[in-house]
Amino acid sequence: MNPVLHSFLVIQGVLIGLMTLAGVLVWIERRLLAFFQDRLGPNRCGPFGFLIFVADGIKMVTKEDWIPPGADKPVFVLAPAIIVITALLGFAIIPVAPGILILDLNIGILFFLGVSSMGIYSTVLGGWASNNKYSLLGGLRMSAQMFSYEVFMGLALMGVVILSGSLNLREIVESQTGLWYVVPQFLGFLIFLFAGLAETHRLPFDMPEAESELVAGFHTEYSSMKFGMFFVGEYVGVTLISALIVTLFFGGWQGPVLPPIVWFLLKTMAFLLFFVLLRAAIPRPRFDQLLAWGWKYILPLALLNLVITGAVVLAQAN
Amino acid sequence: MKIRPSIRKACSENPATVETAFYIVAVVAVLTTLRVVTHTNAVHALIYFIVSLLAVALLFYQLGAPFVAALEVIVYAGAIMVLFLFVIMMLNLGREQQEEERSWTRPSVWAGPGFVSAVLLAVLAWVISAEGTGPAETAYVGPEEVGLALFGPYLIGVQLAALLLLAGLVGASHLRRHERRTVLRDDPVSEESQSRAGPEKGGGV
Amino acid sequence: MSARIEEPTTPPETPALRDEDRSLIEALRETLGGETLPVQPCADEIATVWVPANAAREALRFLKHRSRPRFPMLYDLTAIDERSRSRRDGQPEADFTVLYHLMALEPLREIRIKVALKGDAPTVPTITGLWPTASWYEREVWDLFGIRFDGHPNLRRLIMPPTWEGHPLRKDHPARATEMGRYSLSEQRHIDEEEALRFKPEDWGMERQSDESDFMFLNIGPQHPGTHGVIRLVLQLDGEEIIDVVPEIGFHHRGAEKMGERQSWHTYIPYTDRVDYLSGVVNNLPYLLAVEKLAGIEVPDRAKIIRVMLCELFRISNHLVWYGTYAQDVGQMSPVFYMFNDRERLLGIIEAICGARMHPNWFRIGGVAADLPDGWDRLVRDFLDYFPPKLREYDGMVMGNGILKARTRGIGAFNTEEAVEWGVTGPALRATGLAWDLRKERPYGGYDQFEFDVPVAHKGDCYDRAVVRVEEMRQSLRIIRQCLENMPSGPYKADHSLTTPPIKDRTMLDIETLITHFLNVSWGPVIPAGEATGCVEGTKGLYSYHVISEKSTIPYRVRIRSSSFPHMQIIPFISRGHTVPDLLAIIGATDFVLADVDR
Repeated sequence: MNPVLHSFLVIQGVLIGLMTLAGVLVWIERRLLAFFQDRLGPNRCGPFGFLIFVADGIKMVTKEDWIPPGADKPVFVLAPAIIVITALLGFAIIPVAPGILILDLNIGILFFLGVSSMGIYSTVLGGWASNNKYSLLGGLRMSAQMFSYEVFMGLALMGVVILSGSLNLREIVESQTGLWYVVPQFLGFLIFLFAGLAETHRLPFDMPEAESELVAGFHTEYSSMKFGMFFVGEYVGVTLISALIVTLFFGGWQGPVLPPIVWFLLKTMAFLLFFVLLRAAIPRPRFDQLLAWGWKYILPLALLNLVITGAVVLAQAN
Repeated sequence: MKIRPSIRKACSENPATVETAFYIVAVVAVLTTLRVVTHTNAVHALIYFIVSLLAVALLFYQLGAPFVAALEVIVYAGAIMVLFLFVIMMLNLGREQQEEERSWTRPSVWAGPGFVSAVLLAVLAWVISAEGTGPAETAYVGPEEVGLALFGPYLIGVQLAALLLLAGLVGASHLRRHERRTVLRDDPVSEESQSRAGPEKGGGV
Repeated sequence: MSARIEEPTTPPETPALRDEDRSLIEALRETLGGETLPVQPCADEIATVWVPANAAREALRFLKHRSRPRFPMLYDLTAIDERSRSRRDGQPEADFTVLYHLMALEPLREIRIKVALKGDAPTVPTITGLWPTASWYEREVWDLFGIRFDGHPNLRRLIMPPTWEGHPLRKDHPARATEMGRYSLSEQRHIDEEEALRFKPEDWGMERQSDESDFMFLNIGPQHPGTHGVIRLVLQLDGEEIIDVVPEIGFHHRGAEKMGERQSWHTYIPYTDRVDYLSGVVNNLPYLLAVEKLAGIEVPDRAKIIRVMLCELFRISNHLVWYGTYAQDVGQMSPVFYMFNDRERLLGIIEAICGARMHPNWFRIGGVAADLPDGWDRLVRDFLDYFPPKLREYDGMVMGNGILKARTRGIGAFNTEEAVEWGVTGPALRATGLAWDLRKERPYGGYDQFEFDVPVAHKGDCYDRAVVRVEEMRQSLRIIRQCLENMPSGPYKADHSLTTPPIKDRTMLDIETLITHFLNVSWGPVIPAGEATGCVEGTKGLYSYHVISEKSTIPYRVRIRSSSFPHMQIIPFISRGHTVPDLLAIIGATDFVLADVDR
């Protein structure tokens, strides 16, 4: 096939797949939460309420798009765009299956870290530009939280990089034939999971939104599709983290019998469901507790993981 | 590690495209940096700054240093700028600050430094043109090379930087340590104590 | 409605003063310089002493610190507009009366101090220096009665909006909107009202900045997902650390006390349901206890036990709502759904018995509205079997959760002394280590017949308050089981002429009985003159109703002392130095109902 056409198709496939997935995720999450919580959830719109995401979309697009009078207009508009752009950009490096990969970048992991660190600006700027005290507090919490957990996230990944000897995600997947990295890098996996949750600010780490405290945190003042962008950005972000966990620790597309793409989707979906379960089960720690746990426990653990992995690899090499 | 020199390949195949890309990015970098200086709204200036840093990262990438480019994005654009933003958010800048900023951008303020900088720029241009440099030789510098360099010839430098950062860390945490406000929970049981913060101070809260 | 008719029975004997009260009053008299202090007999046997206005503060200081026993708790502080009273039998001349109700907990002793005031704009010295909790009570009295408290640091309206004119609980203030001028909201007035709501830190003696930082003033409420209702908490924040909190209440004020002054004794019962709207019939009980004391009605055993059972069902129902929202407030999403499901079962039982769910309005003067329906025992037994395993499950899910513990341990703590000082009662008091439950200290309404424990915890923080409430649900189950197994037979309403609705058996015999019945239904019973307080251990603390009868078909004054009011008042004291999320944990663990705060 023409390589240009091929990459065009892949990009379109990933984009459309992602946006649909984000929509379907809304439905899955609401139904699952309802299931966990002894209630029905959305069940009116389409079979099993499946079309609720279409209804949600229509609702969001048709709502009044309101910019508060005191807001910093350009920044207020810019903020929700950033989160969607960065979250989608992150998918460029995810190897979905052999041959289905937008960007075979040899600094793939660094690219992901860079893109996710850009994603912070969305919430921080959104919180600042709203000219609302709750939003500001949410933005402040967000910047401190993501700033801290970026460090742990990077450190947690380094174990995988040492083992595979590459920053390229495709090569990392390929090097996991036989043994998934979740076994030698279990600690790294846990830390990445923890940091990933903090980065995507989902319950239990949703302090920047913290409904009972900050109303809706950084997106208190957002309505209509601007809010929708935050919404989509959050779901794409969660999907990205799940996909990365699968790629880095669970052998990516690898698996017996079924075609690679199915394996990849199945594994990713499993983590998405796990995130929904976490949301249903765990209360929210206090913001300073989250930071303290991060710096006091997770950082030393991540360093320990790094040192041990390095030592073992060196010993084996000798 | 297997190096995949795709950029060099692109360079050799189509130098004109690369050059165009370079100039576009360079112009973006210069323009955004100018806006950083001239903008009166701190947050807007900061956003320009971030874009400027991203442009510089792209330049690094084009020059065959993807690792440095990534670090530029992660560390400068992603982390340090967030700290700047964090501080600015806490400062509660208003319209007055913008006015103040505006007053600083009068010609009388920037004319002097501007002139001196222009002289320096002229000298730089003269020196470069006298040397007669051609297009830079791009050599690919990947993560492995950077790592080997840092922990090889530049080990002392890395350690010194680490020490400096540690000192900074200790200093910052010391500065932040201040005496806790004396009495947060006052004693309501003492009879008629006028110092009680309850109704006496706050007024019936 | 205020027609007076001769009471059909002799009024109950006014109880004589007890010996220990007599010696206490004697000691008080000596402290105040030997002047005779008029003692007012009340139907509830609580010593009620009239003290001159200028000696009130001295008397209260004596009772708080030096008397034997000492009365460390200012239980209630309110006022009475005496200007249209006709039966004051021997009480000192007064236009207004300020009423202080003090309480000693161990052992339980109570005393009422009354201060007679003259004139249209009376003043009395403040006691905010004696009890911090007096501050809100005095502001409330100023707001509703226009009585000034000299020396109060911040005497401003508490319940009514700052722009209100007049003092609503005065007898000359209209009780209905139809008696007032037509309301219109011009644009200017709208702006003024909005401006009046603006928080000005200087008015509260607050700094806008410290040496190190500017403070942020954050309005939590009146509309906020974490406050469970309309209340405004103005936070003074340094970063996220709380420097001070100013709760602003009154958004939920419906004038429940004023309404009492124009409802018949019987038709007021539904209003009590709505004071603490999560506790349903528990609110009926203190009001009815007071009225029954005045009327001298002895409630039959079956009615007593039915009342106890319903109260305990509602205690569980209330605690379930609290349990779920408490978990919700610290960010746990799911428990609230499970607990509301369980509450749904409970409300199903209540509906089967009472015919209504949240506001059953089911207790009556002298008993309850109807006998228990057939098959009630099966419903209750099913629930008794169903619920304990659920409670164990929730223990693991909520109380055992590490994050929840980290969020609530050591947060918002106070000790027993501070609790008493601020008028805190109920589970919050028991969480400080004091095993004090009115159902044990002075059993009312048949609670002496039951075997149950008073759960306590010792640190007095948010987590301990939760521990106490969870255990209380188990004790309530015990009580309900005893009700189920030992439900006595007999009438469900007292055989007394003042019960409502009047008993019909003896009517339709001749014109006399028909007229009596007709009047008792249409006008309601005439309750003998007097004053009485009815007090119960409610779901959130002590609930009490102080009613004054003028031997009429309507109360002269109804005072509702709710427990959420002091619990809300202590929030600034326990929140300072904590952070915003902690404040939400404190609010969650306080278990207040804003209708109960504002009444």
